Amino acid sequence: METAMASSSSSTPSLSFYDFLDRMRNPASLDLVRSIKSFIVSFSFYSPNPENDGKKVQDFFFTMEAAIKDHPLWSGATIEDIDCAMEGLEKYVMTKLFSRTFASSPEDLKFDREISVKIQLLQTFLRPEHLDIPAVLQNEASWLLAVKELQKINAFKAPREKLLCIMNCCRVINNLLLNASMSENHVLAGADDFLPVLIYVTIKANPPQLHSNLKFVQLYRRQEKLVSEAAYYFTNLVSAKSFIVDLNSKSLSIEEIDFEESMQAARLANKVTQVEPSHQLDIGPSARIHNNQTNLSGNFDYPYMLAEAGELMVGDVERLLSLYKDVVTKYSSLCRAVRHLSTSKGGPAVPHSGGHLEGPHVLVAGSADTSPDLDESSGE
Amino acid sequence: MGCSSSLPDRRSGRLGGLNNVENSGAPDSKNIRVKLVLLGDSGVGKSCIVLRFVRGQFDPTSKVTVGASFLSQTIALQDSTTVKFEIWDTAGQERYAALAPLYYRGAGVAVIVYDITSPESFNKAQYWVKELQKHGSPDIVMALVGNKADLWTNREVPTQDGIDYAENNGMFFIETSAKTADNINQLFEEIAKRLPRPSSS
Repeated sequence: METAMASSSSSTPSLSFYDFLDRMRNPASLDLVRSIKSFIVSFSFYSPNPENDGKKVQDFFFTMEAAIKDHPLWSGATIEDIDCAMEGLEKYVMTKLFSRTFASSPEDLKFDREISVKIQLLQTFLRPEHLDIPAVLQNEASWLLAVKELQKINAFKAPREKLLCIMNCCRVINNLLLNASMSENHVLAGADDFLPVLIYVTIKANPPQLHSNLKFVQLYRRQEKLVSEAAYYFTNLVSAKSFIVDLNSKSLSIEEIDFEESMQAARLANKVTQVEPSHQLDIGPSARIHNNQTNLSGNFDYPYMLAEAGELMVGDVERLLSLYKDVVTKYSSLCRAVRHLSTSKGGPAVPHSGGHLEGPHVLVAGSADTSPDLDESSGE
Repeated sequence: MGCSSSLPDRRSGRLGGLNNVENSGAPDSKNIRVKLVLLGDSGVGKSCIVLRFVRGQFDPTSKVTVGASFLSQTIALQDSTTVKFEIWDTAGQERYAALAPLYYRGAGVAVIVYDITSPESFNKAQYWVKELQKHGSPDIVMALVGNKADLWTNREVPTQDGIDYAENNGMFFIETSAKTADNINQLFEEIAKRLPRPSSS
């Protein structure tokens, strides 16, 4: 299989990023550094306004590109050199402005959450057939590679790198479609095949903050770079998002009643997992003994499962009571879900809830981009 | 029904290896870059047309490692203008129809494809024409394409219907066969000729 090619292509860019920083530390580029710094500072004078901010940043990139082209430090530079410098600039500026520009409004956060919750529900029952993905193209194991690429999106702050995650995901899918066309003799059907698979992969991935990530790339990726192939695949993910947001039973090959019931069951099951036991309570001494052999139900600790009555202390009462309440709440929610399912003829198996792949996604906060500072020792 | 049967043809004066001519340079009157969106029912052979067009000049032994949903191809015209087509395929299934505006926004060309053996796909093509007239960019160049012309024994959409509809809507019309490569290059050359030229002032 040739699908491994969509690997991490972040080694060369980061190299050129340090190259960019090096050049900026050169005393000769002091004027550029001043422009960059004052631009970043100027942002804090106004309250966030995405459309405006996007335009301001794009305008700034544009002016800086002209300034770099004319700059003595870049005299005789090739188009590629200038491009590298601009990629470095985009990364530097957007890393600095990240908290201010990414998911900056409460509406964005709300939208992110709504999409993510809807995807969580869909994950419990959606199958490739619901999107009429032909059997020869179904390849859940390999799709995981595409899923993983998409899930990396919050590990980066630079728009270019976020876009790369999207591109890599799409490349994996394309390679799989290509493989299928060669080995299974399936005629390449272009977007007719590609989009449904991308939608399915997106639902499997439930990428963190999908809406905010797309908006961020749209607004802050250098405009001249969001064209052609990159724009096409980006548009496909926008389109997948839009499909998911508007998705109802009519969007899928599924009976309306089955769809509603599966969604309802998923909602109930979701509630079950949301009522988590309060781990914060002080674990009594006797509980600690058994702590390492619990985990009967995966995520949750019921430390008294193997305890004998004689070992219990008065101090355990509070925690026991809280666990008891927790169990009862879950049990009654489960009963409701099961009752609901049994009313549907034949109904699907009890949905396993929660994270499909690795549980709730941890939002990696820019681990790849600890934002270095431009050294200003040379000036002022 | 595939589009992979016969060998790619090497006729026509298309340039090879010129796909990166302008890289990111500013467009000039001699090098035009244009976004082309493909619309039409699923199964009419949209992507087959493009694959035929793009692979026509490839060495058949070379493995194409691109996807089939986005492709770009540059052609040269008689007047030494080059036109780079960036071809955006769209999913033709009904359930994705509402997403089309995301794709045709900013397109300079729309190629609307139907299958001459399927009146239903011809109706769908007319739907797309109307939609583009309402919501597309006003100066978009539109082409109506009746594909699968090799299946003329099963023809259900008369050529004249296509001609008439295209004429009434100011479109270019052609019947193609992605399978035999008939009229595929002509389609793109005709589109290229119809593109508005940026003024060279």
